[in-house]
Amino acid sequence: MRARVLLILVGLACLAALPLFATSYYLYLAELAMINVIIAVGLNLLSGNCGQISLCNASFMGVGAYCTALLSTRLMLSTLISLPVSVVISALLGAALGYPARRLSGLYLALTTLGFLELVGIVIEEFPEYTGGIRGLKVPRPEIFGFSFQSNASLYFFVLALTIGAVVVGYNVRRSRYGRAFDAVRQSPFAAQALGIPVARVKVIAFSLNAAFAGFAGSLLAGVVGFIDPPEFGVLTSIQHVTFIVVGGLGSITGSIAGAVLLTALPEALRGVQEYGELIYGFVLLGTLLFLPRGLVGVVAKLKALRSAKPSAKELAYGAP
Amino acid sequence: MALLEIDALSVHFGGVVAVADVSLSIEPGEIHGIIGPNGAGKTSVINAVSGMVVPQSGSIRFADRELAGVAPHVISSFGLGRTFQHVELFGDRSVLENVLTGFYRHQAYGLLAATLRLPKAARTERNTREQARNLLDAFDLAAFADTSAGLLPFGIQKRVDIARALAAEPRLLLLDEPVSGMSETEAAAAVTTMRKLARDHGITLVIVEHNMRVLMNLAERVTVLNQGRLLASGTPAEMQAHADVIEAYLGDAA
Amino acid sequence: MTWRIILQLALSGLSIGSIYALVGLALVLPFKASGIVNFAQGEIVTFGAYLALILSGLGLPYLAVVPLVLIGAAAFGMVIERILIRPIVSQPEFTLVIVTFAIGLIIKAGIRLHWQDNTFSIDAPFVGPPLALGALRLNPAYLVFIASMLVVVAALFVFFGYSKFGKAMRASALDSIAARLMGIRIGSVFSAAWALSTMLGAFVGLLLGPVIGINPEIGHLILKGLVAAVIGGFSSLGGAVAGGLLLGLLETYAGAFFGATFKNVVPFGVLILLLLLRPQGLAGASSARRV
Repeated sequence: MRARVLLILVGLACLAALPLFATSYYLYLAELAMINVIIAVGLNLLSGNCGQISLCNASFMGVGAYCTALLSTRLMLSTLISLPVSVVISALLGAALGYPARRLSGLYLALTTLGFLELVGIVIEEFPEYTGGIRGLKVPRPEIFGFSFQSNASLYFFVLALTIGAVVVGYNVRRSRYGRAFDAVRQSPFAAQALGIPVARVKVIAFSLNAAFAGFAGSLLAGVVGFIDPPEFGVLTSIQHVTFIVVGGLGSITGSIAGAVLLTALPEALRGVQEYGELIYGFVLLGTLLFLPRGLVGVVAKLKALRSAKPSAKELAYGAP
Repeated sequence: MALLEIDALSVHFGGVVAVADVSLSIEPGEIHGIIGPNGAGKTSVINAVSGMVVPQSGSIRFADRELAGVAPHVISSFGLGRTFQHVELFGDRSVLENVLTGFYRHQAYGLLAATLRLPKAARTERNTREQARNLLDAFDLAAFADTSAGLLPFGIQKRVDIARALAAEPRLLLLDEPVSGMSETEAAAAVTTMRKLARDHGITLVIVEHNMRVLMNLAERVTVLNQGRLLASGTPAEMQAHADVIEAYLGDAA
Repeated sequence: MTWRIILQLALSGLSIGSIYALVGLALVLPFKASGIVNFAQGEIVTFGAYLALILSGLGLPYLAVVPLVLIGAAAFGMVIERILIRPIVSQPEFTLVIVTFAIGLIIKAGIRLHWQDNTFSIDAPFVGPPLALGALRLNPAYLVFIASMLVVVAALFVFFGYSKFGKAMRASALDSIAARLMGIRIGSVFSAAWALSTMLGAFVGLLLGPVIGINPEIGHLILKGLVAAVIGGFSSLGGAVAGGLLLGLLETYAGAFFGATFKNVVPFGVLILLLLLRPQGLAGASSARRV
């Protein structure tokens, strides 16, 4: 436990020190990784913990991004307002999808989310007066009380602070009764109901939370990149999000962080072979699903179990041999 | 007044009649057994009472509230709990977390408080954790608190299932074959615990079993089902001597 | 709105609907056999088209390419089933869905790696000027689409209704345990279902390629196939066919009367409405159990 806290503190210290020796490109990369961490944490709550498959995560990201873009360019609203409003709108949309879909599961749920993704894509493209259509939309840097995060370092810290906040929120949800309810709904809806857990309502909450995280990330992404366009919010992106949590570890916050960081760094590390990007993503996803069903976190857990002298469940029950 | 009143209950699955015209009533504080050979419809009765299955006809009244057609989690909120024949634990969570989940309904903090870990949420969690540990102690599960529930032997999982169901503070607990899969000693311990629950905590128990021996020492009254119908009802001793009951069980250990 | 236009639109709708029907069939077949939806089916269609491209690039005429592509696709399907799908059949649905997506991703990325996003063309005997039938102008490709669909449906009907293996597949879909007990080798049934399904997908690629051009985005029409399958409740082959035709007609008429935007919305609107209101589809079949 102490080791863990120490690790986190060291990690944070490194992150805080990054602007001192990283170029603007690597700061940008770090920001993308952090935004992906937020996405992964949110998606893991819905899919990893609550077991609800979602192929439209990118849509909620898009909703957040376009909301922020419109609120800051059309209504000149400060990030202080546009960010929370985007999150709330995404959350509401998440509930709007989650509610009618609450009785669906597996295949039909996947199809519904897919349909939703396509619909959002169509809306984005068919209202270019608002969304810029396929030509995209330019977005200004985040700005609070007149202070615009123009410098690379200030933007970096802004994103870092918000990411830490999001991870803490995710962690809080997981250790609250809601986190337990999510796991219960995934593993045994019958037992959950017998314990008084309103399964359908919990699913809607999960969808809404996921959408909120994705919308939050989308808002940040818009401000960091400065430009958004429809292809970013398509099915491929949704699959990439799923890859984060599958590779990192379903249902685990640490897994979300690890998966998101690794898979943001991977395409960059393979810059030289950029066309292979999608191919590699596909193989990483496939390989992880086939050979490492519990992701990186599962691998670490197995290694720890092999090395530790803790008694197994059977030993506890029947005494050591 | 009876705590649970089942009146002319019928449960159909497609063309199959699982339960036909079964009536029984259960007094508060009672330990009541429902027994019958395989296929008698015992689990279907439990499923109907707990709301997992919608009855074809008949009424189920709990503390004067009609249960038929009501959603399972709402039924649970009325004070009705159940355990499962095949346990249905949350396998990849620890035993402690399983039991903690049982407290869901009684933890009165909302989503916002949860996300921000407001003092109310933190306090509630601390209290619940303590209560959960007490439950684990009562069921001799303290050693397994941090073990993944799915890794435990079946008999121990059954204890976790009961502890978890109790966390929800039910007034009436439906137990579906609570000692199946347990060793002799485990079963004896479970029977003692169940008796203590009823006596000390006033929880009404409805125990489904196919093994009459277990109910002999435990149940005050027993209802015998056979092929979905009510066969007989009375004290365990009466049922053991009942001609129809013996015939229904021909070949089964009485 | 004259009679002529309505009939033209009907023809157009039925022909594209035939394509949707075939894709829908390709999706329902492995689902009935093993409970898995192959989200890579769109890329199978693309695969078929590119395989045809390769073969015709070698100088082979279209009619020779057809059987070769079908055989190649069947083999491809069996390999995928054996190596990638069989090991994970017992995993949660989440994993299965994502695995097939990953397979599709790999196929598409592989194709793009070699051919980039260019559009290629191949010749086919049914691509030509419209034929005249009275006042109607019939695009020969449309006719071939519809005819092909009818042939496929008839063949499947005979196969499932009368052939030993087809009956074995039906038995496995209904109750795999009983089927096993009766000596039916489930593994072979799975492989056959996948092989049939990839053959169908590649066949669609063969049909579409010469008409709309060969590029990596062909696979996007899996969504239409999914809608067709859902209309049929995802459990009925006939329902998938009817669903595909219905979708084709709906789309075509919507596009004609309300414009292109509406046309694009139709399939997804239908999908979401059905999934939320009537998941068992218009055919109203019972839910298929996963093996």
